[in-house]
Amino acid sequence: MTRFAKLFFGFVVALLLLWQVPWAINYLWVKPIDTPFTLYSEQLNDFVMIQRTDDGPTYYDRKGKEYSREEFDALLPLFFARQLVADGRFPEQIAGRTISPREAQVGNFVFRSMPKEINKPTLGLYFMMETLSGRVDLEMPDDAFRLTDRGIEFIDMETNSVKEDKSARFSDMLLKKGARFPIRTIAGNPTSRKEYDEGYVLLDADGRLFHVKMVRERPYVRAVTLPEGVALEHLFITEFRSRRTLALMTDREHHLYALAMPGYEIKRVEGVEFDPTNDDMSILGTLFNWTVCVTDEDAEHYYAINADDFSLLDSMSFPLDQSHVPGLSFTSSNDEFVRLRIQ
Amino acid sequence: MFSAILYKEWIKSRWYLLVSALVLTAFAGYAMLKLHRALSMMGAAHIWEVMITRNAVFVDQMQYVPLIVGVLFAVVQFVPEMQRKCIKLTLHLPMSVYGTLGSMLGYGLVVLYGIFGVNLLMVYLLSFQVLAPELVGNILGTLLPWYSAGIAAYLLGAWVILEPTWKLRIAEILMSVLLLKVWFMGSVPCAFGGFLHVMLLFTLCSASLAWLSVFRFVAGRQD
Repeated sequence: MTRFAKLFFGFVVALLLLWQVPWAINYLWVKPIDTPFTLYSEQLNDFVMIQRTDDGPTYYDRKGKEYSREEFDALLPLFFARQLVADGRFPEQIAGRTISPREAQVGNFVFRSMPKEINKPTLGLYFMMETLSGRVDLEMPDDAFRLTDRGIEFIDMETNSVKEDKSARFSDMLLKKGARFPIRTIAGNPTSRKEYDEGYVLLDADGRLFHVKMVRERPYVRAVTLPEGVALEHLFITEFRSRRTLALMTDREHHLYALAMPGYEIKRVEGVEFDPTNDDMSILGTLFNWTVCVTDEDAEHYYAINADDFSLLDSMSFPLDQSHVPGLSFTSSNDEFVRLRIQ
Repeated sequence: MFSAILYKEWIKSRWYLLVSALVLTAFAGYAMLKLHRALSMMGAAHIWEVMITRNAVFVDQMQYVPLIVGVLFAVVQFVPEMQRKCIKLTLHLPMSVYGTLGSMLGYGLVVLYGIFGVNLLMVYLLSFQVLAPELVGNILGTLLPWYSAGIAAYLLGAWVILEPTWKLRIAEILMSVLLLKVWFMGSVPCAFGGFLHVMLLFTLCSASLAWLSVFRFVAGRQD
């Protein structure tokens, strides 16, 4: 017993030292790297950056040419459309196309994915909103649903009981459209604080893609044909104002795809490698192009993507020197779990 | 002799156990009352929505209660032994030192598990009729690490209190605080997942630390 107690005491001391000492060193001496905020300019056809310094922000392009703030706004007329309209400087034509300020603003979107949102405990309850309620604002439903081995089960929240009829309607419709239970992955954005609702995209037990939503209390299910050899893994519903896409998706090889609308066409976002469980990704989209930023352990990778056909226009990277003293940790910025890990 | 030790522990701790059981019941009862009140005032749909989308669990005020119950239980059980040097007599009873310390800690563990178990059962019984099993699981998944911290606090408290020298006792307090911090690192319900089992095993192993303190006491270490 004494030997075990001494060994355990030694183990506890070692555990605490390997946890706290590297943490303290990293906290005191390792400074985060400040990379510039980068966007793809449709005027220059190149990346432009904003770097924050002690003397205030500096604006420059990839060649190092510096700009004033007003000049910089004009390089990104779609992204800064509101500012340019307020200044009376919104151009009549952008890259040879006549664009109204309204079109520019509708085309803008911000998408962000962080590993912490993926690597977390899942509750398994979701809300299916009514997409055509006839009201201007979206409303949250009076039921929630769970995915079971045999289908979708709606639960009346007031009585905490299963709605058999509605559950059967949705499950039967999914079966009729060729889905096989249990559903493997589901993605939606159930909130009333958005302009419209597109329900959920999901992968069935065989990895086939479906779009499910509720239209006037009835199930709408659409099977989406996947390109040959594509095995999707992670799904993200977009619901951008422009409605040009329904979802973003990644496959097992970490390729990024967009589900383009209308027509449910799956298009590869050329050049982008993104592992949602490990990498941060942000997309600042405009009518003409997307600036995709994927941050992994080694670098911040920027991709300029043509918003019409998702082809790669340009790319660049900022290396990240993430050197730190390795040690034990119970939490991570990449997940919401508490467990012992080396990092 | 075993039953005599249990009786001694019972005499020492019975009033404290009654008070801590009442406090835990009051906190759990208040949390559940708040949940039911919110359900009746704002409607089940709204409460389910905040529980599903924002991880609300309605038991936040219970976070440190089991921890305090565990620490104070160790104080009530072991401080009198150390202050009046009763531990010297206790360790000279016709029973092995292992057996004596094991009986005392075993009593404490069984009683704490009992009180905490009844408390968790109460939360379950007062919530399962109005909430989906997933949401009840979220509440219990939030509470379990906190109650486990109470068990760990009791065992680490015993380790610290039974330590005969202040120099080491202070180091042990610092180590215990860091170890107990781990139980409160989860920022979402059920954050421990399968690691909860590892932590529970670690907690039970930490009972052996109290033996180290007693070993040093028997060896005559003192300030």
